[in-house]
Amino acid sequence: MPNKQRVEVRVNGTRYVREVEPRLTLADFLRHELNLGGTHVGCEHGICGACTVLVDERSARACLTLAVQADGCGITTVEGLRDPSSGALHPIQQAFVDGHGLQCGFCTPGFMMTTLELLRCTPDPSEEQIKEALGGNLCRCTGYQSILDSVKLAAQRMKPSTPA
Amino acid sequence: MAIEIPTLPEQMPNDASRYVGKAVNRVEDPALVSGTVEFIDNFSLPGMLHCAILRSPHPHARILSVKVDAALAAEGVAAVLTGEDVGRWCNPCFTAPEGWGNYCLAVGKVRFVGEPVVAVAASSRYLAEDALELVDIEYELLPPVADAGQAMASGAPLVFEERGTNVMLDRTYTWGELERVFAEADRVVSRRFRWNRVGANPTETFGCVCRWDLADNSLVCHGAYQTPRFMAIGRAASLNLPVNRVRIVTHPQGGGFGGKGGPRGTDIAALLSRKSGGRPVKYIEDRMEYLLAGGGQSWDRHYDAALAVKADGTVTGFRVRLVDDQGAGAEGYGTISAAKPLAAFTGNYRIEAAGYELTLVATNRAPTYPYRGYGPPPHNLVLESLMDCTAREMGIDPAELRRRNYIRPEQFPYTVPSGNEYDSGDYHAVLDRVLQMADYDALRAFQAEARAAGRLVGIGVVNTVEPGVFDWNAYATVGVPGVGVPEGVKVAVDLFGGVTVAVGFSLQGQGQFTVASQVAADYFGIDIAQVRVATTPSDVAVPHFGQGGSRLGVAVTGAILGACEKLRAMFCTVAAHVMQAPEGGVELRNGCLRRIDAPEHSMSLAEIAGLMLSRSDLLPPGIEPCPEATYVWTAPNRNAPDDQGRCRSYLTAANATHVAVIEIDRDTGRSAILDYFIVDDCGTRLNPANVEGQLQGGVAQGVGAALYEEYVYDADCQPLVSTFVDYLMPTIHEVPMTKKDHIVTPSPVSPLGAKGCGEGAIHTTPATILCAINDALAPLGKELLETPASPHRVWKLLHEDGAAA
Ligand code: FES
Ligand code: FES
Repeated sequence: MPNKQRVEVRVNGTRYVREVEPRLTLADFLRHELNLGGTHVGCEHGICGACTVLVDERSARACLTLAVQADGCGITTVEGLRDPSSGALHPIQQAFVDGHGLQCGFCTPGFMMTTLELLRCTPDPSEEQIKEALGGNLCRCTGYQSILDSVKLAAQRMKPSTPA
Repeated sequence: MAIEIPTLPEQMPNDASRYVGKAVNRVEDPALVSGTVEFIDNFSLPGMLHCAILRSPHPHARILSVKVDAALAAEGVAAVLTGEDVGRWCNPCFTAPEGWGNYCLAVGKVRFVGEPVVAVAASSRYLAEDALELVDIEYELLPPVADAGQAMASGAPLVFEERGTNVMLDRTYTWGELERVFAEADRVVSRRFRWNRVGANPTETFGCVCRWDLADNSLVCHGAYQTPRFMAIGRAASLNLPVNRVRIVTHPQGGGFGGKGGPRGTDIAALLSRKSGGRPVKYIEDRMEYLLAGGGQSWDRHYDAALAVKADGTVTGFRVRLVDDQGAGAEGYGTISAAKPLAAFTGNYRIEAAGYELTLVATNRAPTYPYRGYGPPPHNLVLESLMDCTAREMGIDPAELRRRNYIRPEQFPYTVPSGNEYDSGDYHAVLDRVLQMADYDALRAFQAEARAAGRLVGIGVVNTVEPGVFDWNAYATVGVPGVGVPEGVKVAVDLFGGVTVAVGFSLQGQGQFTVASQVAADYFGIDIAQVRVATTPSDVAVPHFGQGGSRLGVAVTGAILGACEKLRAMFCTVAAHVMQAPEGGVELRNGCLRRIDAPEHSMSLAEIAGLMLSRSDLLPPGIEPCPEATYVWTAPNRNAPDDQGRCRSYLTAANATHVAVIEIDRDTGRSAILDYFIVDDCGTRLNPANVEGQLQGGVAQGVGAALYEEYVYDADCQPLVSTFVDYLMPTIHEVPMTKKDHIVTPSPVSPLGAKGCGEGAIHTTPATILCAINDALAPLGKELLETPASPHRVWKLLHEDGAAA
């Protein structure tokens, strides 16, 4: 039995402490140890972006990160997007629904987490900036057009309202 | 009781549709964006084991010995499966053509790199993979059959020795007076094409959880299954179980595009469950396994094709010789893929005679499987490229040449030489609309200017017909009868007036649950939130097929309408009895059962359903207390194929014209798509946003196939692709944000007038891009007739004469 290591993380505001093998990926840790299955896995080699989560506010590929590397970090996954008290969808989620920004939905958590980071850093992104941000996420269903539209919609809705 | 299925939305019992025809938000999406959908790897059973598979590193080798003792003794390992077990317990999978199938795990020899050889079930995937490293296999290498040419050479090694040949199928179809039209042609335009192997690559790979109940001798398989009932029959056949002891529970899938369903993985997980005393076993294919050997690699094709053309540009004949490299076996139903072009062999044109010579061969590449479009994408690339070659040779504008040859609107229904009947369409109108939208004349002017400046700019104008909604007869001619079983649903009304639609398939991305909800809600005049669509396991579901062949949206609409019609008749009878109206004196309108003579007297759905379930004394004689109905829809008017495979196989014929503007970079060989326009006609658009999504998604896959994606094998038949670093999937930077418009010619024969529309874009896009590239290359006198037109391939062509062109 390989030595286990202690990992303490805060995921979507909840604190978890586990003993894990050093080789366990963050994706498997979130999905199978913490039962947070919304972070999907499409390639496990860092290309598709389906596993994107925020680690201390920065996007990371959970398939290329080891759980032990995340020790002491705060992690946000797709499960953390909905308003915990009302259950209301996050504006990004709502924009993807309204903009038909998904088909099978398997890539969608990764796109939304990438979008969350983008809009935090760049609240009013140009089309080029959106494409640049999403260029590392693969979607096999939509052909990206509705995703682009959904992100624009989310940006527009989340923009801090400016006095007229 | 004869059931009339409404062929237009206006025929539904409401004053106006609230949902059908509108881009309503999808009912699937709130759960999908929340990350709470039970994709198969989010599903577990108590005591579950995890499977890992050891795969062959050799394309062709005899297995001399397999030693698994150390693996069996490893930590956490519950069972190890070898070829010996499989040979004892299983049958090779059913194939078409018959008798070209492998076992789920190699028995005796391996036939491709990635073929499963040993599988382990352990308490975690990590431990299962550890155990695989302890397995010892001794191989004797055999010379591989690396490609189709080698397969057909005399004295070639045999992939399936018992067959005595590598040729799986050799068949020639002749439709019309082919020899005469070619003899009488003023011009014959012929070319050779090579379409290299591409694949589906849904973002979610295949996965399953299987449990073999040893006491009951039954099997339950949860998984990402595209065609559940079909899968159940296949498992029964390969695992020697009665069909009614196999239950397939299909989960939502992260994309399908053909080939989703992993019969091999399922059989392996099932047998590991059997070997470990009935514990559930999960198998999740990883991306490298998928890229090496997963279902979904398609179209490894060599074409020789020709058009017979009259002096005025009328195309009279189309001859195609196809050699299709099926890989190591026909487990993926390769004949279907080769035969599907019969449904629209001659495209949009009035070509009077055609011929198709078909040779399917076995090689030591991975077996091929269905991929979206299932055959027509390469076929259309050949036909449409020949149209462009003809136009260039004759000095006619390519759009004009096409227009001259179109089937005319008044000619529908139109029977093509290969036998299928097109239901309706207006190709001239579609072409006019797209040329106008693209401002075609201005584009040509821009091109002329660019060329004058030395730039390589090309324009592709390509149209295709998309056969939709196949039936049992579509592939009977190549030995696959019964594919395209009917689609059935059960519609139930509950005490509170809620409606549940039980279907036999699950989510895959196309939005069928939304379409089902729209149709049921509009039919009963209720809010869409009152409809629930639920998946039933294969063994208890109404006969069904599921996704495939651009049929499910249409077929499930037909099934729901059929069930609703049955319910309407039943509810009207009950309401007439209760309201003491004369027989036939009650109608359903906007969700109410009302007296025709006194519409102010009416009952709600909930009242009728409640009464039926609770007051048998009030029911008219002969009515069961069951406010539910099943209906199994199948296309009307299907016939058996004749000796040349001709039949009415696909119910609907959608069509589209794409226009692409491309510029090739001389220094890198890279093709940039400057603009892309689409006008399509798929009849009634049940949910326009869904249709747009299907179009744009198909364009993306078409761009991949035309420019980037390729399963490369080296001369020794070793695959050079095993990650997304090697297999280039288009990203947001490569896919054009297309400009779209449409016309609507409702199908006169399909439910609500909708036509299958899931594949039209991938049918059209590769041809459009290649035609544009060749238009760009034309001034250089060069042609590229091979896909993908990758930067490397284009660069080599540009620079083959030594100097930069
Ligand atoms: S699963 Fe992590 S990038 Fe694909
Ligand atoms: S919606 Fe299916 S992969 Fe993006």
